[in-house]
Amino acid sequence: MLYLSQVLGRPIRDLEGERVATIKDVIVRLGADDHPPVTGIVARFGRRDFFLSRWRITELNEHGVRLNSDKLNLRPFVRRDGEVLLARDVLDKQLIDVDGKRVVRVNDVQLIEAAGDWRVTGADVSLQGLYRRLAPAGFMGTRKPVEVLDWADVGYLATDAATVQLKSSSDKLARLHPVEIARLAEALSYHHGSEVVESLDDETAAETLEEMPSERQVRILGDMDEERAADILELMSPDEAADVLGDLPEEKAEELLGLMEDEEQADVAELLPYEDDTAGGLMTTEFVTLPRELTVGEALARLREMAETPNMIYYLYVVEREGSWKLVGVIALRSLILADPAMPLAEVMRTEFQMAHPDEAADEVAQRIAEYNLLALPVLDETGDILGIITVDDAMEILLPKDWRQRLPRLFG
Amino acid sequence: MAESRAAVIATGRRLLRRRGRGLKPSAGWRKIIAYLAILGPGMIAASAGNDAGGIATFAAVGAEQGYRLLWILIPITISLGLVQEMCARMGAVTGKGLADLIRERFGVRWTAFVMLALLIANAGVTVSEFVGIAAATELFGVPRFVSVPLSAIGIWWLVVKSSYQRVERAFLLMSLVFLGYVVSAFLAKPDWSAVAVGLVKPSFSFEYTYLFTFVAVVGTTISPYMQVYVQSSVVEKGVTPENYGRTKMDVWVGTILAILVVFFIVISTSATLHEHGLHIESAADAARALEPFAGPYAEKLFAIGLFGASMLAAGVLPLATAYSISEALGFEKGVSRSFREAPIFLGVFTFLIAVGAAIAVIPGLPLIRVLLVTQVINGLLLPIILFAILKLVNDRELMGTHVNGPLYNLGAWLTALIVTLLSLLFILVSLFPNLLSGRS
Repeated sequence: MLYLSQVLGRPIRDLEGERVATIKDVIVRLGADDHPPVTGIVARFGRRDFFLSRWRITELNEHGVRLNSDKLNLRPFVRRDGEVLLARDVLDKQLIDVDGKRVVRVNDVQLIEAAGDWRVTGADVSLQGLYRRLAPAGFMGTRKPVEVLDWADVGYLATDAATVQLKSSSDKLARLHPVEIARLAEALSYHHGSEVVESLDDETAAETLEEMPSERQVRILGDMDEERAADILELMSPDEAADVLGDLPEEKAEELLGLMEDEEQADVAELLPYEDDTAGGLMTTEFVTLPRELTVGEALARLREMAETPNMIYYLYVVEREGSWKLVGVIALRSLILADPAMPLAEVMRTEFQMAHPDEAADEVAQRIAEYNLLALPVLDETGDILGIITVDDAMEILLPKDWRQRLPRLFG
Repeated sequence: MAESRAAVIATGRRLLRRRGRGLKPSAGWRKIIAYLAILGPGMIAASAGNDAGGIATFAAVGAEQGYRLLWILIPITISLGLVQEMCARMGAVTGKGLADLIRERFGVRWTAFVMLALLIANAGVTVSEFVGIAAATELFGVPRFVSVPLSAIGIWWLVVKSSYQRVERAFLLMSLVFLGYVVSAFLAKPDWSAVAVGLVKPSFSFEYTYLFTFVAVVGTTISPYMQVYVQSSVVEKGVTPENYGRTKMDVWVGTILAILVVFFIVISTSATLHEHGLHIESAADAARALEPFAGPYAEKLFAIGLFGASMLAAGVLPLATAYSISEALGFEKGVSRSFREAPIFLGVFTFLIAVGAAIAVIPGLPLIRVLLVTQVINGLLLPIILFAILKLVNDRELMGTHVNGPLYNLGAWLTALIVTLLSLLFILVSLFPNLLSGRS
């Protein structure tokens, strides 16, 4: 076992033991391997950097490198696709530890020789790793067991070198809950946080974005390829998507909205005119309406048949007739299930219910949801048409102190 | 159902068109709010210089040197603005904190060195904040061995266990008392022609007290922690290179306003103390400069302002230091973590508060003197941070096209060199007091 800090700056000797150059960096190839192999070394001779292929090296240890010939092929170093320089791109940089669900900084890199190959097996994130590099060479042994993060758990490497993102990293990240991915991405810089979100599939990216503060959402979606951004916006809940679009610059929002599919576009467009701090700004357009003439059994059947069930189906909104938006009653899913299937909805529904007007102040509406222990509150216009609903999640975001919100998981997407 | 979907889409389209015609009522307001949200970091960072150490230093400048040192406020404004702007720009372009960048570009050894300097400088400033608390409460007749430990425990508890942000505003409001110096400066009827001369005519001296005050002024206005702070709050606010213009303006406006307050503190102390041959030995002396404004209430008012400013910084500074060090060394951070999870972060935070409070309760401590010494330490360590900033901001790989221009670099390098020379000169003069004296 070897640490990167033990080989950097060490001499490179030829077959005769003559010192020909020093080790400047170690090159590894990232790919499908959990433990990427060393493919070569950047050698420093004079004031120039040269490439030494792995196949010319017979020995690699804390005394340096030994070559298998006397000749030094002075091929200048050029980075190839998928290659990472351990000292330049990994050491001192941040990475996401998927297993520990945290962002850590690499204090040292662990290399292990197996079957004739040197492989990167872990990132040392311990205090000892720091001492090892601070103390003069040879001052401290490596006997002490240290906390080494298995390279297989590295979900994302926050390096500025383009084209080296780990292929398998998004799969590893996707094992985490979107809330966790969002927290981790926020711990990184904007640039790297965006990269993390972009590496996810559309669905996960949308869920992750919903958990992030609005400045981050705006910056990530604003910097993204427009088609991709529109795809992700479609998958976000309409109220979140509308909030993001409202915060983006006018033309950009217009463009993204135009790229969205008709249905999602309409859902979002409906929400755009409302102010952030009103009931209208808080509401979402994802809810279920049922005409009053249905029976309980028919209503349940219709719920099952719906192609895309909204997240919030704990309340069902009963309207005057098919195609109408005039709200006449509310049924809790619980009473629907417990009721006799032959009963008409009109007899099960409650006609006395709390509601809000789109221009009402957001915090007052949120207060009401908390007071009446509601899961959602319908928003009606002057004519009594239902425009949308405000879910308890969105109400909580207003009511809770800011630093609490981030710890709160969402109930309804 | 299909029919109703069509109706919704039609409504959406209609609303979309309405939005396109600019009927959205909130556009104007949003812009103002967005502006106010971004307007801030530079302003706050610059005015944070007016804490206990700052007030003591500027009051001492006025009382000891009169208008003689006023001229340095002009170059200091430029230097402070340049340095703050560089850090704000780095925050906007890289999205990373200063400590992060130092670690990623300079490696472990340099990071350890810079962080050690920052730790010492900030420990000094933390001491000065607790000394400020001691001085303020003693004006109210509360002995420091009661007030300081209580404040230390209170701050620690508020930050770790409760919400410091809630009380932060109260402290900030209290510190606004220092704006009274502006009024005082006018009411004291200073000799404005002497002020004008002091402002434009550079004077220099190799005397120990002159150099001491000089270094303290530089150390308290361009303090290392402010650079760290301004950069991380720019990052926090999510400023991008595209909307960086506003932040740049905020930095400069903040710098100029902060130095203006300093300017008036110096004038009022000079007019009320220096011209009557009085010196600053205690907080009560510094309070006297507020007399033209507040009359008999000057002392109490001063005490309130000093207490608020000191409490504010005594919480924020150890916290910011703990964040920087954990960030640079890659340790777990955050006040919601337990000691087991984040030992270094909470350790640094607790250590700074404990040291600050412990030194401030030493009986018979000359408070004003200690305040000045901590600012001098700041000034002496400043070059280390400045050179790190300069190297980072000119790193093309990091900053791309946002590196300094040649003229900008000239100003920034001059600042760093002059501050360094000044520090060396001061050390030389303190070690060999007779070397250069007599040539003033």
